[in-house]
Amino acid sequence: MKIVREALAGTLESSDLMVRIAPRDDELEIVLQSEVIQQFGAQIEAVVRDTLAKLGIFAGLIVIEDKGALDCVVRARLQTAVQRGVDAWTADWSALS
Amino acid sequence: MSAPLKLRRSMLFLPGSNAAMLSTAYVFKPDCIMFDLEDAVSLREKDSARLLVFHTLKLPVYSRVETVVRINSLSTPFGLTDLEAVVRAGVDVVRLPKTDTADDVHALEAEVERIETDCGRAVGSTKLMAAIESAAGVVNALAIATASKRMIGIALAGFDYVMDMQTERGDGSELFYARCAVLHAARYAKIDAFDVVFSDVNDDAGFLKEVELIKRLGFNGKSLINPRQIDLLHNAFAPTEEEVDYARRVVQAAETAESKGLGVISLGGKMIDAPIVAHARLVIARANASGLRT
Amino acid sequence: MSEELLSYAVDPAEEENERQEIVRLLARSDLDYEIGVEAFVVFRLARRLIACAGLEKNVVKCVAIDPDWRGEALGLKLLTEIVHLAHERGHVHLFLYTKPDNVDFFRCCGFYPLAVVPGTVALMENTPVGIQSYCNQLKKLRQPGDVIGSIVVNANPFTYGHRHLVEHAAAHSDWVHLFVVAEDVSLISYRDRFQLVKAGIEGIPRVTLHPGSEYMVSRATFSAYFFKEKGIVGDCFTAIDLLLFRNWIAPALGVTHRFVGTEPFCRTTHKYNADMMHWLRADVSVSPAIAVVEIPRSEQDQAPISASAVRRLLRAGDFSTIAKLVPPTTLALLQSKYRIERPTAA
Repeated sequence: MKIVREALAGTLESSDLMVRIAPRDDELEIVLQSEVIQQFGAQIEAVVRDTLAKLGIFAGLIVIEDKGALDCVVRARLQTAVQRGVDAWTADWSALS
Repeated sequence: MSAPLKLRRSMLFLPGSNAAMLSTAYVFKPDCIMFDLEDAVSLREKDSARLLVFHTLKLPVYSRVETVVRINSLSTPFGLTDLEAVVRAGVDVVRLPKTDTADDVHALEAEVERIETDCGRAVGSTKLMAAIESAAGVVNALAIATASKRMIGIALAGFDYVMDMQTERGDGSELFYARCAVLHAARYAKIDAFDVVFSDVNDDAGFLKEVELIKRLGFNGKSLINPRQIDLLHNAFAPTEEEVDYARRVVQAAETAESKGLGVISLGGKMIDAPIVAHARLVIARANASGLRT
Repeated sequence: MSEELLSYAVDPAEEENERQEIVRLLARSDLDYEIGVEAFVVFRLARRLIACAGLEKNVVKCVAIDPDWRGEALGLKLLTEIVHLAHERGHVHLFLYTKPDNVDFFRCCGFYPLAVVPGTVALMENTPVGIQSYCNQLKKLRQPGDVIGSIVVNANPFTYGHRHLVEHAAAHSDWVHLFVVAEDVSLISYRDRFQLVKAGIEGIPRVTLHPGSEYMVSRATFSAYFFKEKGIVGDCFTAIDLLLFRNWIAPALGVTHRFVGTEPFCRTTHKYNADMMHWLRADVSVSPAIAVVEIPRSEQDQAPISASAVRRLLRAGDFSTIAKLVPPTTLALLQSKYRIERPTAA
């Protein structure tokens, strides 16, 4: 799938995150802001990359404002943003796990 | 000895879109946690909440508590996708809102079975419950309660029901018939019955008064919107020391009779019927779950 | 939680009762109601309005929480809602004006400071990579030299006066970076203005023509400027626009000089030029000072050439006079596309 429009998901509230995605031609740029970036920055980024790879997304600008979300919340919000930012959602449920 | 009784005294409502509550609610230890995808979620967040609940259901911490998801009605654009998500994520119970007829349950069951087959989940492992929110639902409560062997309970939802009845919430008399009808249907079908939410979380006395009433009527439990109400509810359902003593003696007598192969159970020279034994087991289960009443 | 928090959008033009309550809530926070706001998000608890945030296009304004209800949680919820509302209305990249004391709070809401006028106002944007990535693009267009000039024009429309300014700057610089204001609120569309500038500077050496951006004389950096045609000037935050130029854009391109024409007619532009002397040159920033070169307008028949004069002549249908003030490309476009139809005498 391909991100074709800017999309937004999540909230700025505690234990959540706000994800903003935008189309990019051929690079994946992840910009992560987090209150816990020292301890968990690398882990969050790994979750983001894994989630996108399972959806077949390899290009886009991903801006994340993290408020201490669990990994599963990161996945859920990112998947929602992608759902909102693609023209045709073709992912199988197994790609969401 | 029969399988341990599944207590469903407290069913805690959590808005499916609230990441913080979803991430932490298990610590309050309700008997059931109900993730809501319906009324507590705005139209804008339906897709987001569905995915959040999908992932939350898979958290190991939620494998130790019974999980329920209130999906959107299958007549909405969201209902079927909600169902796909939660059945695949391993939810224990699907709660159908605004159930008016047994056919509503049949339609739900057919979809659940299809999804179970699709995703390799054991057919029949997804349980169902129905919320009754209208005069039609109350009148059809028995048919709804017995519509499927997957059914584990029916719940009365007061807000929509009183609207449908052209009245409003008051001292409880407005719910009298509906409570009795839902309860009788549940007892006949041998499933659980859940009472309405009590919305004023600052009114402990009012809450406890309502809990006394529904416990005496025979409800298994109540839907809750604030974690603070859980302990109050559990304590109200907890037995006294005297009740537990008596229940232990009843169960002891029943087990003795069973081991001796006796057809009749007696305690203190009196014959004891099966419903008394069943009630004694319930009393002990409640005591084991949250101690004696304080 | 005994009362449910209601959150919904309000159109201030349609809902006068809601608008009145918003005015009172803003007043309790010492904030003015701004008439440009097109939509509000409000929170209501037990029938009481306790928080609001407004949107004027992509600028977040009028953010207030009832003093009795202040706390970070409600603020984060409010900003979440306004960001989603803006997105629904087609605005992804958002700007926000606030008092400098509130910068830390909005930083927690995903907004990043762009420019701060101490004690007065701060401008923030809702992305950590906005102006930085814009400046990274600009850096690729850097040119060597000791004197790197810059000009920002609206060119509504492009006149011989503009050409004179660019020629003068080019003659006195090693290179000139020329920007066209991108905000589309002028008589002549941005597309057309850009094309006219491109044609109009033909033959002038050592000039790079840049598209405008939201970081330069835009609704976001300089919103009051665009009210002027409606007759509402108000206090304009020229300082923010100029500090953005000095702190971000100029260093990216190595700009040392900014060239402007004197402004005899338009009060807002005149003030902008005067403010430039202060905010680009004085000791108000850690970034190097930028020399401001104000050159007199070129004249035609003893009158300074200005775009506003051309627009007046356009309204009068006086194309023969216009022809003396603008290059042929501008004249042709005005005649074909911007001719103002007037009732013909019977």
